[in-house]
Amino acid sequence: MFVKPFSRRRVAAVVTFGFLLAGCAKDAPQDTFDPAGPNAREIDSLQRPVFYIAGVVGLIVLGAVAYAIWKFKDRGQDIPEQSHGNPKLEILLTILPAIILAGIAVPTVSQVFSLDKKDNDCVINVTGQQWWWEYDYVKGSTCGGVEITESIVTVSELVIPADTPVLLRITSRDVIHSFWIPRLNGKRDAVPGRLHTLRMEADEPGIYTGQCTEFCGLSHARMRQAAVALTTADFQSWVTNQTADYTSPEAGTTAAIGETTFIAQCSRCHQVDGLVDGAGNPVLAEPDRFVYSGAAPNLTNLMTRTAFAGWTFDLISDECRDRLWNESPETFGAAYLQGVWMYSAADATAPACFNETNLREWLLNAPAMKPMYTDPTKLAETGGKTRGMPALGLTQAQIDEIVAYLLERK
Amino acid sequence: MFTTGSKLFFGASALSLVSALLYAGTTDGPLSMPGVVGLLTATVFFGFLGGINYATRDGNVSGMQAGVEHTSPAAQPPVRASMWPLAAAVGAAGLVIGAVSRPVVFKVAVVLVLAAAIEWMVLGWSERASADDDYNSGVRRRLLYPLEFPILAAVALGAVVYAFSRVMLRVDKDSGMAVFGALAAMVLFAGFVFASKRDVAKRTVTGVCAIAAVALFGVGVASAVQGQRTIEKHPTTGSEGAVCLEEGTAGEIDDHASQDVSLKSSVVANVYLQSNGVIVAYVNGFPDDPKSEITVPRSAWVSVRFHNDAPTAHRLTARLGSFAGAAETVQCTTAVNPGKEALIGFSIPKTNAASSTPIVLMVPGLTGQEIKLVIP
Ligand code: HEC
Ligand SMILES: [Cu+2]
Repeated sequence: MFVKPFSRRRVAAVVTFGFLLAGCAKDAPQDTFDPAGPNAREIDSLQRPVFYIAGVVGLIVLGAVAYAIWKFKDRGQDIPEQSHGNPKLEILLTILPAIILAGIAVPTVSQVFSLDKKDNDCVINVTGQQWWWEYDYVKGSTCGGVEITESIVTVSELVIPADTPVLLRITSRDVIHSFWIPRLNGKRDAVPGRLHTLRMEADEPGIYTGQCTEFCGLSHARMRQAAVALTTADFQSWVTNQTADYTSPEAGTTAAIGETTFIAQCSRCHQVDGLVDGAGNPVLAEPDRFVYSGAAPNLTNLMTRTAFAGWTFDLISDECRDRLWNESPETFGAAYLQGVWMYSAADATAPACFNETNLREWLLNAPAMKPMYTDPTKLAETGGKTRGMPALGLTQAQIDEIVAYLLERK
Repeated sequence: MFTTGSKLFFGASALSLVSALLYAGTTDGPLSMPGVVGLLTATVFFGFLGGINYATRDGNVSGMQAGVEHTSPAAQPPVRASMWPLAAAVGAAGLVIGAVSRPVVFKVAVVLVLAAAIEWMVLGWSERASADDDYNSGVRRRLLYPLEFPILAAVALGAVVYAFSRVMLRVDKDSGMAVFGALAAMVLFAGFVFASKRDVAKRTVTGVCAIAAVALFGVGVASAVQGQRTIEKHPTTGSEGAVCLEEGTAGEIDDHASQDVSLKSSVVANVYLQSNGVIVAYVNGFPDDPKSEITVPRSAWVSVRFHNDAPTAHRLTARLGSFAGAAETVQCTTAVNPGKEALIGFSIPKTNAASSTPIVLMVPGLTGQEIKLVIP
């Protein structure tokens, strides 16, 4: 009420300008307008001309409206002659948009089909659940010349060979999610009971981030993911490492105690491939008994990932992340393959980049970091199964042991 | 003294106050505070509206004119008896009875109370809108007909549909066709007669329609009371080892199942039994390259489409493993005739390593050919 008109206008100008500036954000890793692979580029090259045409049409319409408002505003003149209907104009105004729309439809429809091509070599199952993504690499695939002879299960970070099309088979274990890596392709819904395919390809090695884009409950905002592209050689090393035999910690170390603690506390939900118990029997996780979705992240190679829990919390330090993200495509893979051990001296006994604080906090009380349905008094409707990881009431000593053990899962 | 309008609002205000007190006294938990605040707000609000109505004599009489409160239209008693007080009372009783007996009674009572409240309010207002009775009922019609007609029409249509559906569910499948045909013919015939005889009396049409409606409703209620005929379900998949693991058909189930699949795109694999007796799997992602293994995520529902190109009927059976000493889970399509297809869907909760039996897709009777399911 006491604001002078010019200052109100100034506020509006500042707000508008702010919005405009936000469009120029430089550090925007999820920028659809900055495609980094053929599929995303195809979409981009379709939407740009459409956007320009729509922009021109929009300007014409706005201009006409502004002109009409100005020209015919009430200056006390007589009401102009009233007419009804103008067939010529109406036909023109129907045909013109129809032609424009038809013109846009031709490339759009043909592109829908071209994007839907099914390729023949590298297939990865992508399974969403509250609130993280699981990837399993289909046995018998050949990804960029690398044969997948054993299925590999990993979480949040989808590692793919650069310059190679991969086919994702996307589904969900609980509610609808949506998989989206904006710089590589459009989004695809993950629907329980259905299997949707999406092709993905990155031109160059690097990290491409994304997030779940279908509201999926409590921690939807913390359900993120990334695609990590590696050169074929680096991808080969990654696959070799993922399928390497399990190595138990050296007897007598904290990590060895950690293995026992892990089996006691964590193995009912989390699989570590190759892990055997004291009697030599394989330890097989049974998340179907304890977690509503029937799955929990595979921790076999946890330390090769750079973030955890729906890719929300860093597993590497801020400095290392900055450095990794700014690596050139040529040097990126070498650093990435080291996991939390990246940028450490060859003879280092402790990893230089490990973000121990985050992991410890998670083990102490996961639901306090990421909201999840784990309240034991409210689990009746899911048969006592949690959605997410419950707080396990571990002691500091147990956490020390488990962290030491997990550090070797690299 | 009090005008009609102000009485309504003061009454509502008092009711809200009593409710607030009752609510506060009987409820606790997270909702009690907002509830009480809401009801007290209503108390104040209705009191305020009542005050305004009182001060303005329901807006009908200038506050300056003394003594008009007895002679103005607003002060006149209703012209004719109304059924809405009765309906409201029945509704209120229904609320109480419904609260302790069946929810459906409660719901009907809520509808009745709401309807009575609206009708009664509009009636009460319109009867005092002016001193002219004709004008008043005209006002009421104009306000309520747009509401009443569609609702009554919907209710009537609903009754017809409901009654007819009960009849169709009662009679058996073959007589159902005859009943449906006969009824349709009768409707067509009546429509034809009415339409061609322009001079047929309006009363005749109404009478015929009313008789038909009553008859239909009567038969409908009678059928509903008797209950529907038994409807046999024909499952499209089985889960008994005796059926799924044996060659050949197993009777009833197999005879009636649908053998066309509409879900084409979102299956994990298309499994073909070829005319030469060989099973191949075309896995989603490898359209040109038949595979003998299908990798599926654990605990996720996946579907497989089975095509039978062999000369005799066959089923596809999924052996889904046996875990922790439990019996093996099997699931199968019905026997699929030559050239036909069927869908099978499953979710396997654990990895292959946890199962003591193989997890495979197979066709009973064809040995040595299996599509392995890989669950990492
Ligand atoms: C009741 C099942 C359950 C138990 C027991 C459990 N977890 Fe989890 N854990 C989960 C679930 C579910 C998630 C996924 C949470 C999310 O991201 O939303 C998870 C996530 C994690 C993650 C993040 C993995 C990633 O890459 O995103 C780590 C690390 C982890 N748990 C470690 C442990 C350890 C160590 C223990 C034993 C001390 C343990 N968990 C016990 C269910 C469990
Ligand atoms: Cu989600």
